[in-house]
Amino acid sequence: MSVFGGDSWGREAQYRKRRVDDLIIEGIDGCGYKKLPNGKLVCLLCPHHPVLDTPLMLSMHVKGSRHRAAESEQKERELSRQYQINKRIALADSSSTAVSSTSSEVRCGSTKTPLIEQVHKAASEILAGESPQCSTMDKSPDVRSDICYYKKENQSIAKSNATEVVAAPEVAFQQQLDYKNRRERELKLISAGWKRDAHGRWFKDENVEFDSDEEDPNVYLGQ
Amino acid sequence: MFLYSLTLQRATGMVCAINGSFSGGKSQEIVVARGKILDLLRPDDNGKLQTLLSVEIFGVIRSLAQFRLTGAQKDYIVVGSDSGRVVILEYNKEKNYFDKIHQETFGKSGCRRIVPGQYLAIDPKGRAAMIGACEKQKLVYVLNRDTATRLTISSPLEAHKSHTITYSICGVDCGFDNPIFAAIELDYSEADQDPTGVAASEAQKHLTFYELDLGLNHVSRKWSDQVDNGANMLVTVPGGGDGPSGVLVCAENFVIYKNQGHPDVRAVIPRRADLPAERGVLIVSAAMHKQKSMFFFLLQTEYGDIFKVTLDHDNDRVKELKIKYFDTIPVTSSLCVLKSGFLFAASEFGNHALYQFQAIGDDPDVEASSATLMETEEGFQPVFFQPRKLKNLVRIDQVESLMPIMDMKVINLFEEETPQIFSLCGRGPRSTLRILRPGLAISEMAVSQLPGVPSAVWTVKKNVNDEFDAYIVVSFANATLVLSIGETVEEVSDSGFLDTTPSLAVSLIGDDSLMQVHPSGIRHIREDGRINEWRTPGKRTIAKVGSNRLQVVIALNGGELIYFEVDMTGQLMEVEKHEMSGDVACLDIAPVPEGRQRSRFLAVGSYDNTIRILSLDPDDCMQILSLQSVSSPPESLLFLEVQASFGGEDGADHPANLFLNAGLQNGVLFRTVVDMVTGQVSDARSRFLGLRAPKLFSITVRGRRAMLCLSSRPWLGYIHQGHFLLTPLSYETLEYAASFSSDQCAEGVVAVAGDALRVFTIERLGETFNETAIPLRYTPRKFVVQPKRKSLIIIESDQGAFTAEEREASKKECFDAAGIGENGNAEQMENGGEDEENNDPLSDEQYGYPKAESERWVSCIRVLDPRTTQTTCLLELQDNEAAFSICTVNFHDKEYGTLLAVGTAKGLQYWPKRSFDAGYIHIYRFKEDGKVLELLHKTQVEGIPLALCQFQGRLLAGIGSVLRLYDLGKRRLLRKCENKLFPNTITSIHTYRDRIYVGDIQESFHYCKYRRDENQLYIFADDTVPRWLTAATHVDFDTMAGADKFGNLYFVRLPQDVSDEIEEDPTGGKIKWEQGKLNGAPNKVEEIIQFHVGDVVTCLQKASLIPGGGEGLVYGTVMGSVGALLPFTSRDDVDFFSHLEMHLRQEHPPLCGRDHMAYRSAYFPVKDVIDGDLCEQFPTLPVDMQRKIADELDRTPAEILKKLEEIRNKII
Repeated sequence: MSVFGGDSWGREAQYRKRRVDDLIIEGIDGCGYKKLPNGKLVCLLCPHHPVLDTPLMLSMHVKGSRHRAAESEQKERELSRQYQINKRIALADSSSTAVSSTSSEVRCGSTKTPLIEQVHKAASEILAGESPQCSTMDKSPDVRSDICYYKKENQSIAKSNATEVVAAPEVAFQQQLDYKNRRERELKLISAGWKRDAHGRWFKDENVEFDSDEEDPNVYLGQ
Repeated sequence: MFLYSLTLQRATGMVCAINGSFSGGKSQEIVVARGKILDLLRPDDNGKLQTLLSVEIFGVIRSLAQFRLTGAQKDYIVVGSDSGRVVILEYNKEKNYFDKIHQETFGKSGCRRIVPGQYLAIDPKGRAAMIGACEKQKLVYVLNRDTATRLTISSPLEAHKSHTITYSICGVDCGFDNPIFAAIELDYSEADQDPTGVAASEAQKHLTFYELDLGLNHVSRKWSDQVDNGANMLVTVPGGGDGPSGVLVCAENFVIYKNQGHPDVRAVIPRRADLPAERGVLIVSAAMHKQKSMFFFLLQTEYGDIFKVTLDHDNDRVKELKIKYFDTIPVTSSLCVLKSGFLFAASEFGNHALYQFQAIGDDPDVEASSATLMETEEGFQPVFFQPRKLKNLVRIDQVESLMPIMDMKVINLFEEETPQIFSLCGRGPRSTLRILRPGLAISEMAVSQLPGVPSAVWTVKKNVNDEFDAYIVVSFANATLVLSIGETVEEVSDSGFLDTTPSLAVSLIGDDSLMQVHPSGIRHIREDGRINEWRTPGKRTIAKVGSNRLQVVIALNGGELIYFEVDMTGQLMEVEKHEMSGDVACLDIAPVPEGRQRSRFLAVGSYDNTIRILSLDPDDCMQILSLQSVSSPPESLLFLEVQASFGGEDGADHPANLFLNAGLQNGVLFRTVVDMVTGQVSDARSRFLGLRAPKLFSITVRGRRAMLCLSSRPWLGYIHQGHFLLTPLSYETLEYAASFSSDQCAEGVVAVAGDALRVFTIERLGETFNETAIPLRYTPRKFVVQPKRKSLIIIESDQGAFTAEEREASKKECFDAAGIGENGNAEQMENGGEDEENNDPLSDEQYGYPKAESERWVSCIRVLDPRTTQTTCLLELQDNEAAFSICTVNFHDKEYGTLLAVGTAKGLQYWPKRSFDAGYIHIYRFKEDGKVLELLHKTQVEGIPLALCQFQGRLLAGIGSVLRLYDLGKRRLLRKCENKLFPNTITSIHTYRDRIYVGDIQESFHYCKYRRDENQLYIFADDTVPRWLTAATHVDFDTMAGADKFGNLYFVRLPQDVSDEIEEDPTGGKIKWEQGKLNGAPNKVEEIIQFHVGDVVTCLQKASLIPGGGEGLVYGTVMGSVGALLPFTSRDDVDFFSHLEMHLRQEHPPLCGRDHMAYRSAYFPVKDVIDGDLCEQFPTLPVDMQRKIADELDRTPAEILKKLEEIRNKII
């Protein structure tokens, strides 16, 4: 006979204990701790992840000053991250609608090397999402086409990031596929022995043999 | 990983052979060495060679010799091996094993240049033996007899001479004077000292006589004389009253008789008329035949021509040496002339043959003689001859040989139950493609159509003492047909059998009466024609019958058993009835034991998945003695009695045993041992045989009872050399069978299948595989399978031969000259002389190709349909090109589909230095449904492409030391990427995903990776051991298996962490910039398996030989053996077998004195492989030894045998 009455008080006592534990746990934020496979609990908020034996101990820990400090820090971090994300989304949205010509000019001005200049220009155009302005530029046609190709690619990347919020999922998927195809084609060219020069143009590796009538990727990719 | 190594097909080539009377008396036997196996063969009365004994010695046999003590009746065998010991063996006829009489250690183990074992010579009077090394050492042992007439051996006497190379040794017959041994030697001490090379070019071979002084007990150099520098072999000439004594020295182009104090007698060896002038003629094997009044020698040249050499002598003076053309047979490694009039030719490559002498070459033929030897300014005048058909010899048997296996693939092209092994075997014109199927070969004697579809067949004798069967009885659905066996098989109606009803059983009952059991009764036909008929009670019908010679049990529908016995008067009397609980599925009575009146056991199988054993004793008749439950209802039962055996021709000791076999409906054969006294069953084993319930029949094989099991294919259970073997037969599905014996066919089987009656015999018992051979034209190199079209593409090439057209032209010329009509047709040339029995008088298979200059190559690419064995396309390469590598390749997004790439070399020469004119890669496309090849283009490369492989829609080629990636261009292959960092020559390439596993000819494996984004090939790991790779196969992503030319098999694995690191290197920077280690790649593979096979492995493949079996590694070797390595699946098995192996090593050391562990670790310590060949020697041990080992392992011998059987069944 036990003090709890009945024949098997052990089980009842266990239930009772579990109910108490549940009650204690209820008051604590669910994402702040984790139950380990051995039944112990670990606090996820504190930087050194203390392991606590029972829910009661966890509840005591949660009330502690150190934990509280860690908690507020965590919240702050979360907020700032949210802010950053919002900012970036906003930026991406605005860049797809209107060009901040000033910013691109500033960038062009700050750089000296022509290549970087070109790249920046191209990038800004891409960000602007407008029709290629490179036609107005004083460049040979194949270089231009090259840039156009580059631009398209980047555009698709940018878009695939940006349109996550706005565009329909099929379109995003399509674009991703496009990107994959393009990447695959590029890899094929590389494994066929083509190389890129500093201008991004394709040239033949001198150690590799080609068919005499092999198409120049600079030409057919440009179209 | 732990592996179990098992040889599936023992080596089939022969290194050397000796003949003598090893079992004593008049019988003639042959002992052959097959590398690591010692076999005893004997031609039987029909002229077929039978293997009496085959022992694996776990060592390398380098030489064999036989000797006989004076006055004895029996020959002993001396074995020179790599054990550093000389071993003398005696064949024990009673117990059928080799008895090791003496084992004398003299040096280090292994095949070393100064450790004796390479040469053996025997004093012709059997008083002494000399064992020599290639260099320096020679030891002489004195052989004698003690008072109990046992053979004794002395301590060794040294006859060493340093700085001396030995070419050949032999005993000199000098009667009962002191024994003398002759040796061809070359002293290189001066040549070694002289840096200018003058001394080396002037070095001279000498013939030296060593005399063993029996009185002083020491060996001295007695005489030395110069011989030709081309001398390569010595042959003993009879002496001591039988002949002039001395030796024959076989040299290039000459045979010289030499003896101390005798002038040289020299004769030129006749040359083939078509032999190029710069080629000499060497003797490669010799045999001496001696009778009371005469003796002669048979010498075979390297081209296969045999010459008979006779000496015209007057006491000790030789007046004339004659060399007469005898016959031409394929080149041998040993010739044995048997006293019984046979010539055994142990072929160098290809099948061995047994010939019978028709004549001994007394007819006139081309002859060279010392008397007519002409010396002119240009040298000696040659004698020419033209090879002709066999005149003095006739071939009566051949022993199949796969040697050498050049390439092998396990694949199920014919969609049979088990895969087939396709192997390229042989060399030159005797090369073949052999299709091996696991199972025994059968030879079909007769097939005849029957008027309906028969359901069963029996054979019966008329009298118990008859040798042959009298009737074949065939039962149909509603009739019975009786055929009498005589000169012909024809239907009879006066046999007394009821022919209007189907039969359930037909057998001989009593001594001379016949019994027919049909559904409504038993018909008993007495010898005098009286017929007794027993009818079933009421309307019940007989369902099943079991009978032996004196007892019959029938089961009626509903489960009633009625038991009959034959009484003293020959009447069939009902003895007992017994009601079973349900219908009887099958029943069988054990055969009547010798000297008993009745058998005690009846086995009854019921549909409730049980087998009961009932007693038939009068005391406890129909009492259930034991009960065995099985997994599925039994369909058929058979008692198989194994008689007690104490050795003898074909078996080890084992007590009498009674086995109960049951074919279950789920296709499993269930086998238990029945206690002969109590009837208790024990030691149950089961094996899945096929998709149909096995029906069991008792037949006779080699005079013993054996069991035929008919499932979806037939199987034979029989005892061979002490083992019970259950082997499939290579035959179609059969319905019912019975043993068959007539004067044309002593031990056959008659069976029904469909509406045909088939009579066949089972051949070559004890073999694992049966083979179908398809002849090829030149030495096959490699082959690939076109799995879609199920055809094989084989590349063949030979050095120093003429092309087919040239050969044909010269043949025609030769026939014209000889006046023979032109009959060697082109068809036959196609397949390199398909059949030598054809009317082609000079088949290449027999005579070899005419020899051309050594820089000339011939080669062809063949497309072969293995089903029809037809060659659908044969392209002969032109311009001295030879093919060395082959692969099929699918280039990505190109229009041709599957293409064939072949790597060739032009003008390849190995001597004096390896050189070649050019290397090419040919690309062929398949046309006409893959039957024909068409050359697309040919790309010249700067090395010989020895390895080709498809990789990511391109072609990877190993060209010399360069690994190169090719893409298909319009007019040639386009080089896309290469890596030149391989050490020597690339010989194998395997690919998996983006990894490339490259095998180097002498530096083992290199693991490479192809990076598409950089178009670069990187070597990221290699092996630390310089292995001379001969075969390789891919095991898994990190593991490769390889074999080296020293006979080792090994597995290497890239450690898991390294592999992960390489796979998780997204930028590829690490792999690119990592530093190499030990002048090699940055990472090293680990060796996980190591095993010395003792034979050069030429091909490796991961495969499973049984349906649903686990995959293992199957390999083929130069000596023509096929083996397998199976991974263990449980730790318990590993423990068990490693302990068994350990005990066997201790209790049963190898026969020729090599330590087993040392042998398997000959080059590298053996690692994680258990030698199944040693474990399988367990049943050959004496019974008490078996029990001792079993006790140590806490098991019974039967359990160990069961384990051995189980693991064997997992492999094949």
